[in-house]
Order: sequence, then structure tokens, then C-alpha cells
Amino acid sequence: MASNLCRLFSSSALKLTFSHTRSDQLTRSLSNSVNRLICSATQQPHPLEENPKQSHKQRLRKRISKTKARKKIKKTTNDYDDNGNFVNKATGEVGGPRGPEPTRFGDWEKNGRCCDF
Amino acid sequence: MSQYFDFAVIGSGVAGLRYALDVAKHGSVAVITKAEPHESNTNYAQGGVGSVLSPSDSVESHMHDTIVAGAYLCDEETVRVVCTEGPDRIRELMAMGASFDHGEDGNLHLTREGGHSHHRIAHVADMTGREIVRVLLKAVVNDPNISVFDHHFAIDLLTYQDCSDTICLGVDTFNTETLEVTTKFTIYYAQKSHYLHSITFTFLNFQAIRFISKVTLLASGGAGHIYPTTTNPLIATGDGMAMAYRAQAVISNMEFVQFHPTALADEGLPIKPTKSRENAFLISEAVRGAGGILYNLGMERFMPLYDERAELAPRDVVARSIDDQLKKRNEKYVLLDISHRASEKILSHFPNIAAECLKYGLDITRQPIPVVPAAHYMCGGVHARLHGETNIQGLYVAGEVACTGLHGANRLASNSIVEALVFARRAVQPSIDHMKSSKHDPSTSNLWGKPVVTSSLGSDAMDKILTMTRTIRKELQSIMWDYVGIVRSTTRLEFAEQKIGELEAKWEEYLFQQGWEPTMVGLEACEMRNLFCCAELVISSALSRHESRGLHYTVDFPNLEESKRLPTIIFPCSSVKSTWSSRQLHKQLMC
Repeated sequence: MASNLCRLFSSSALKLTFSHTRSDQLTRSLSNSVNRLICSATQQPHPLEENPKQSHKQRLRKRISKTKARKKIKKTTNDYDDNGNFVNKATGEVGGPRGPEPTRFGDWEKNGRCCDF
Repeated sequence: MSQYFDFAVIGSGVAGLRYALDVAKHGSVAVITKAEPHESNTNYAQGGVGSVLSPSDSVESHMHDTIVAGAYLCDEETVRVVCTEGPDRIRELMAMGASFDHGEDGNLHLTREGGHSHHRIAHVADMTGREIVRVLLKAVVNDPNISVFDHHFAIDLLTYQDCSDTICLGVDTFNTETLEVTTKFTIYYAQKSHYLHSITFTFLNFQAIRFISKVTLLASGGAGHIYPTTTNPLIATGDGMAMAYRAQAVISNMEFVQFHPTALADEGLPIKPTKSRENAFLISEAVRGAGGILYNLGMERFMPLYDERAELAPRDVVARSIDDQLKKRNEKYVLLDISHRASEKILSHFPNIAAECLKYGLDITRQPIPVVPAAHYMCGGVHARLHGETNIQGLYVAGEVACTGLHGANRLASNSIVEALVFARRAVQPSIDHMKSSKHDPSTSNLWGKPVVTSSLGSDAMDKILTMTRTIRKELQSIMWDYVGIVRSTTRLEFAEQKIGELEAKWEEYLFQQGWEPTMVGLEACEMRNLFCCAELVISSALSRHESRGLHYTVDFPNLEESKRLPTIIFPCSSVKSTWSSRQLHKQLMC
């Protein structure tokens, strides 16, 4: 929405320069002030982001709910067993490394680093 | 100062600790280790232990895989023994508390590494070695019969000749920690010129401890530091192999040194590390599998010239190709480029490499990674028979220091820990039998001259010796890499032999010029003499193999020769050489 505002303002600023025969300086300063308005408009806090008007507790709750939502998504794709150990769906391994199989290319790999081959 | 034990164990890796725990039930044990007890090659082995642990697997299959990887140079009986007894050794570790990963069905989770035809690698997430060392060390520390002597550097084995037999009765060591406690006396005096002068004396106050033991187990690990880039920690200077050689033990298959093709090359990093890396950072084959391409410094993609599989050729082919390029172009490293892949993919799959490289100013999503091959494992070593016995009575070996015949010309992945466990266990019964038939004689300790306990070399001389030794060490590593690397030739090997001989003579001459005496010891000097010894063993073994097999590749004999399918054995002989590095310390004054 903010970008639309931008386009609106800039096109009208252009119109300003064509339709009127005011001095260049004036049009420039006008368009500058318009630009500044647009800039400050776009810098308004995003409605979903932190709003300084919100209380600290409200912000904290939002953060917690977000991480919980993220964790829930994680939990459904990679199971955890009763003891809370990570279970690899593909290999059935309990408590093993996450991500691709460490020996898929023959050597023992962790995050790109090889330990043995 | 002498200590009397029934069993002396040199080295605190998996082999040493496992053996100590078993023999401790029958007598007193001293575990002698040159740094902290947990510091060993085992601790860095993060992969896994390979053994027949699944009903669908078989001993024959494991044997077959081992022998194929070893280029048919393995000793079949040894392979059978390790493949058969391996599973029990791993189960014992589990019983001791090592928490190997399990599957959902409750069974051990076994993964499959390169060269194995079945899933048979048991592991603990990705820190198997560390977990095994933790479990064994905990048991060792809690055992009342075992005394651990850390920061004790083993100088030489104590041996004597009885007719045609060589018998080992212990080992000389010194405490490297108290070496740091030097007492400096500074004497000020005024001269005619009225300037205040001073002379500083540095007294090397260290304790030399002589261990007299009925049985000795050598489990001191590998010798990666004969090469400039190695995955081994700093302690791996081939001490055990050198000591055994000086004690007239038979050494075999030293030419088979396993290299990993792509380790991070510090020389190519934008910001050089302030201190040289102790052990190399290996870049996994997975990076090549994800599309990484190898270039030489002229930005030419060279792998297709050597193999149609290009970057995904087997590791030894890649290692040889890189080595060939480096030698042809006289360069220090090649480049592994993965920047053409999406940067999120790179960062999510290889965060470890990305972070490490970023520390030194390299962005792997935009720039290629400098890589160079690194020495990793010594397949050869002190010749061992089926129970870890050597040709020296009372001396047993296990682990990387031993050449049991399991690995042949190339080690199969994840076979080293299981070999150490099996042979450590097998050496127990013969050790106990030998121990029961021997008696301690209090006068034994006087059979050999003692290492020099204190000496008053000026601190100036000590500094000079230290600096010289460090320079010589780098030179030795450089000669080994340039002339005794992955791709060898007779001319280069002979050149290396000559150069290293000269280097050794130059170093020893300098030492003695500065006032060093033949029975004096010091950490850097003793490690240096061991490195020289191992380097020479590698070269003479390589020269004697007139074929290319497994890890040993020479352009003068590039093919396999069935008639040469034999291990390389170096027999002891009263050597013509009389260098400081090739004689036991206590024999220095006798000539």
C-alpha cells in the first residue's frame, strides 16, 4: 500500500512540473518535501511489527506465540518420541544428527566438515 | 627415579585405555600419555565404528570390503579375527555406558560409509571417538589399579639382548610440565665501563621417570606431523614407531599413508590465521557432491582430465589429481568452488565451513575455497602378530602404531577403532601370561644409563636450539610433502632420502655445537628425532615397493604387480648410521 502511495505522489509531482510554469527550484523543493512525506509514511511501523504503543508484555506474548507456531510446524514434519528425542523420519534414527545423512557421499560429514573417510 | 609396575601402557587412546582396563584386574598399571589423557587421535575420530551388528550383514561381507579396500594386501587371518571379534568389543563398550545411536525399533542405528556394502557403522551422533574416550577414561580414572601419568613424554624403550632375543623391560620418560618451571638466576655485575651486565642461567628442572614394567603396550598412535598439513593433533609425531624401531622392532608397510584430498589450505585464506592450525579442517566430499568444482590457480577445471567422473571420482583419484596439479604447477593449493550454487542452500548445508572461512575473510557463497590434501592415517607401523605381539619380548602393540595386516594398502573407513579395540583385547591374555612368568629385579633399573636430569645450557643456547628445531621441522615436512607425497617417483624418493639425511646431520651438528649432550632430552628435540625416524621409514618403504598399490602410487611403477603383493618389512639391523635419532638414548654413550 505504501508503494502505491509512492507512485501516486511521484506521478502527481511530475504533473506538477508539466502543468505549471513555476521555477524549477520551487518544483524541486515541492517534490522533495513530497518525497520526504512519502519516506516518512513508509517508515511508519508495520502494523504486524512492534508498535511502541503496545506494552512490553504484549510484544513478548506475540514473540512467544510466533515461536510456538514455528515449533509446531517443526514438530509435525520431524517427530519427537516420548522422551523428547529427535527422530529422523527418513532413517528411523533416534537422537541422531538433523539434516541430510552424514555418510551420503561416503565420508563422515557434519555441516560440510569431514571427520573421517 | 624409578617406578615399578606390572604393566606399562604408552598412549591413552582407545587401544591403550581398553587394554589398561582389562589388565588392571591382574596387576598394577601405569598409563603414560604425553599430554592430557583425553588428547589422542581417537578423540578426533567423530565418524563411527564399523562392525557386523545387523542380522542381514555377515563377517564375510565385512572381510570382503576390507580386503578390497586394502588392495588385497591385507592379512586374511587378521581380517577374519577383527571382523569376527569386532561386534563383541562394541557391545562391551555399550555395556560400559557408551550411548550409541538407536533406531526407533530400539536396535542400533547403523549407517553406511564409503567402501562398505552393508550398513554397519555404529556411531554416537557424530562424536563417536569422544564418547568412547569419555567412557573408557571414566573407568580408568575410577580403577584403583591404574595410575595415569599425563604430560609424561616417552623417550625410549628399555631393552636388552638375551642371546638372540630382545627383551623390553620398561620405558624412560620425562615430565614435560615441570620443564616449564625453569629457574632463572640472573647475576648482575659491573664492569669497568660501569654498565650493568647480566648472565642468566636456565636450569632445566624436570623429572626423568624410569618405568620398569614386566609388560609394555605401545599404543601411541600415528605420525601425521611428518607432513605439513594433517588432521592429526600435535601429539601425533610417531613417537611409538620411532621408539620401537630404535629398540630393534620389525616395522612394516610404512609407505601407505592415507591422505584426504580436500583440507582447508591456510595459505589461500585472505586473512591468514595468526597461529598455524594444529589439525586440518577437512572439507567433506559432500561439497563436491553438492556441485563443488575443483580448479587450479589458473582457474582451469582439471578433474575431467584425470577421470570421467570428474569431481565425484573416488577420493584417492581426486587426491592424486590434486597432488599432480600442485606438483606440475608448483603451487600450494587448488580451489574448490561452490559459489555457483544458491547461497541459502550453501549456508544451510555447510554452515560449519561457511563460518570457519568467514573467520578468515572468505565468503564461500562468492569465492572459491582453497584446499590441499592432508595426511590422515598411517596404515603401517610396528609389525604385530595376531595377539599384538612384536618381535620384542614383553612388548605388545595396538592401534594406529601397529601394523596388524588389517588395513593392507588402504584403510577401509571406520575400521581403525574396531582394530584398536580387538587387538587391545587380544593382547591381554598373552600379557598376563608373560607378566606372571617374570619377576621384578630391583637392580634392573641400573642396566641403562639415565637421561640427563638437569643441565645448564644458557637460555640463549636453548632459544637457539628451539628456533632451529622448529625451522628444521618445517623443512622436513616440506620435503616430505614435495617428494614423498601422494604421487611418488623413484628420483623424488631418492632425493628426499638424501635431503633428509643431510637435514638430520645438520640439525644434530647444530644441537651438539650449542652444547647439547647425547643423553639430554627435551620435548621438541625428542619429537624431532622421532619425526626424522618415521620420515626415513616411510621413504625406505616407499623405495622398496616396485609397484603401485592402494595408497602407494609411483609413476615409475604405475601398475599393480601380482608378484609384488607382499607387505613391506623393515628388519632391524645394527645400522651403519650412527645418528642421534637412530639410537636409543641410553645407548648413546656406548660406541
